Amino acid sequence: MTPPLPRPAIAITGLTKDFALNLRGVKLRAVDNLTLAVPEGQVFGLLGPNGSGKSTTIKIILGLLEPTAGECQVFGVPSGRVDSRLNVGYLPEAPYFYRYLSGTELVRFYGRICGVPKARLAERVREVIDWVGLSAAAHRRVGTYSKGMLQRIGLAQALVHDPRLIILDEPTAGVDPVGSAEISELILKLKTQGKTVLITSHLLAQIEDICDRVAILDRGKLILEGAVPDLVGRQDQQALLVDALPPAELAELQGWLAARGHTLNAVEQPRTRLDQLFLSKVARAPKDGGHS
Amino acid sequence: MSSLARSVPFSFGRLGIVAGNTFLEAVRQKLFNFLLLLAVALVASAQLFREFNFGSSELKFIADFGFGSMVFFGSTLTIAATAQLFFSEIENRTALTLLAKPIWRTEFIFGKLLGVLAVVGVFCALTTGLLLVLLYNRETALMAANPEAFEAGRLIHYGDLVLMGVLQWLKFGVLAAITLLVASFSNTNLYTVVMGFFMLVICHLQYLARDAYSQVSALPLRLLVQGLSYVFPNFQVFNLADQIGIGQGIDPTVFLRVGAYALTYIAVFGGLAVYSFSQREI
Repeated sequence: MTPPLPRPAIAITGLTKDFALNLRGVKLRAVDNLTLAVPEGQVFGLLGPNGSGKSTTIKIILGLLEPTAGECQVFGVPSGRVDSRLNVGYLPEAPYFYRYLSGTELVRFYGRICGVPKARLAERVREVIDWVGLSAAAHRRVGTYSKGMLQRIGLAQALVHDPRLIILDEPTAGVDPVGSAEISELILKLKTQGKTVLITSHLLAQIEDICDRVAILDRGKLILEGAVPDLVGRQDQQALLVDALPPAELAELQGWLAARGHTLNAVEQPRTRLDQLFLSKVARAPKDGGHS
Repeated sequence: MSSLARSVPFSFGRLGIVAGNTFLEAVRQKLFNFLLLLAVALVASAQLFREFNFGSSELKFIADFGFGSMVFFGSTLTIAATAQLFFSEIENRTALTLLAKPIWRTEFIFGKLLGVLAVVGVFCALTTGLLLVLLYNRETALMAANPEAFEAGRLIHYGDLVLMGVLQWLKFGVLAAITLLVASFSNTNLYTVVMGFFMLVICHLQYLARDAYSQVSALPLRLLVQGLSYVFPNFQVFNLADQIGIGQGIDPTVFLRVGAYALTYIAVFGGLAVYSFSQREI
C-alpha cells in the first residue's frame, strides 16, 4: 500500500492562465485547469515539451504572473503574496545575473534582499558558495563564468536564505555531463536535508534518477502524475540478471520455464547507460574554479 | 502551515539595497565616463572664457553657461540612465530572479529611482563643484585686474549656486520619475528614451501653452489646459538662474516651495510607475 503523501509544499487547484495575443481579444491558454500537489520533502519533476506550460506554472508559483483562474498556494500562502516567497529559492532557466558583480557580491546581494541577518551573512555566503564548489572563483566577475559555473552560482543564490522549497528551472540546460551529474548530486543532498525540490528538465534519465514524483504537462494540461517507480515500473514482467549462459543451458532454462507455463520474452546483454559510461571515463575536474 | 507565513512589510532597507546595486551598475558599466568627459569639456571651455575679460557680466555668463550645460547634459544623462538601468533588468531578465525573492515591486521601482537619483546627484555635485571653482578663480582674477568694480567684495553668492545645483538635481529627479513611468509599461529602451525626451520638451514648454490658453474664455478648454498644467510639471520653476550670481540671491521660501513641488511630482510619478509595473507580466 502506498504511504500517505506528506503535506504539500505547493498546492495548485484548477489553475488556468491565458495570455492575450492581441487587442481583439485572441488569447493563448498556457495552463489549462491544472491541479497538482508537490509533497514536502520530495524531489518533484515537472516535465513536458516546449510550450507545455511548465515555465508559466513556475512563474505563477513565484508570484511573477497572476493566474487567470484557480489558485496556487506555497506552504499555505497564496502565491501572489510577497510572504509566499520567504521560503522559496529559485534558479531560473539559463540563469541571468548581474554580470558586473563577483560571485560573492551576487550571493550577498540576494542574501540581503532575502533578509539574511547581517551577522550571519558573510558566513552564509561563504558556506553556500563552498557548497556549490565555487570558492576559488568566488571573487571573479559573474560575466566571466562558464555555463556550468553560472548554474552553480545560481544554485548558491537560491539557497542563501536556507529556503524550504527550491525551484530549479532547467538546471542542467547546456551543462556538460559532469556538471550535470554534480547538479544531480547537489539536488539529492538537498533532499537529504529535508528540502522540497521542484525541477523541470528535458533530461528524462536524470529526472528518473533523482525525482520521487513527476507530473507531465502537454499544451497546458496535466496528462500524467505519480511516483516515479509506479509510472516506469512494469508490474506484469520481471527481469533476472544472471551470468552469461552457454546456449545449451539457456535452452534448458527456456524449457524449464515453458514447463511451468512461462515465456522467456527476451534474452539481452545488459548495457550500461551512456551517461554512466561517460562519467566513469571522464576524470572529474576539481570542483573549485569550475569547468565549462 | 500558516505558521510559516509571516508578513513582509515594506522595507527601506531592501529599497536601499536595490538602489545601491543600481548605482554600482552605473559605476561598473562605466556610465560615469560620460561625467568625466563633461568635466574635461567644462574645464576646456573655461580656458576660452579667459579671453573675454568683460568684467562682472562675464561671471554671469559663465554661471549661465555652466547651468545651461548642466541642464542639457543632465537631462540626457537622466533619461538615458533611467531607461538603461531599468531595461537592463528587464532585457537581461535579472528582474525575474530578483522579483522571485520576497521583495515588493514598490521597493524595486523606488530602489531603481533612488539609484538613478544617486547617479544624477554625483553628476550635479561634480558639475556644480567645477562651476564654483571656475567662477571663483575667474572672479579672483577679475578682482585683481579691476579692484574698483569689486569694492563691496565678491559679487557671486556661492551658496546660491549650490542651491541652484540642488534644484537642478530635483528637476532631474522629476524627469527620472517620468521616464521610469514610461519604462514601466514600455517594451523597448528606445521608446522609453524617445518618450522621455518628448516629456522633457513638454515640461519645459508647458508654461507657453498655459499662458496662451489662459486667454481662452471657453470654460471647458480653460479647465482642460489647467488640468494639463497639473499633469505635466513646469520645469521653468526650477530655473532660478536669473536670481543668482550678481547681486541677487535665491529666496529660501521660493527654494523650499520649488523643492516641495519637485518631491510631490517625484512621489506621484513614482507611485504611478509602481502601479503600472505591478500590472506588468515579467
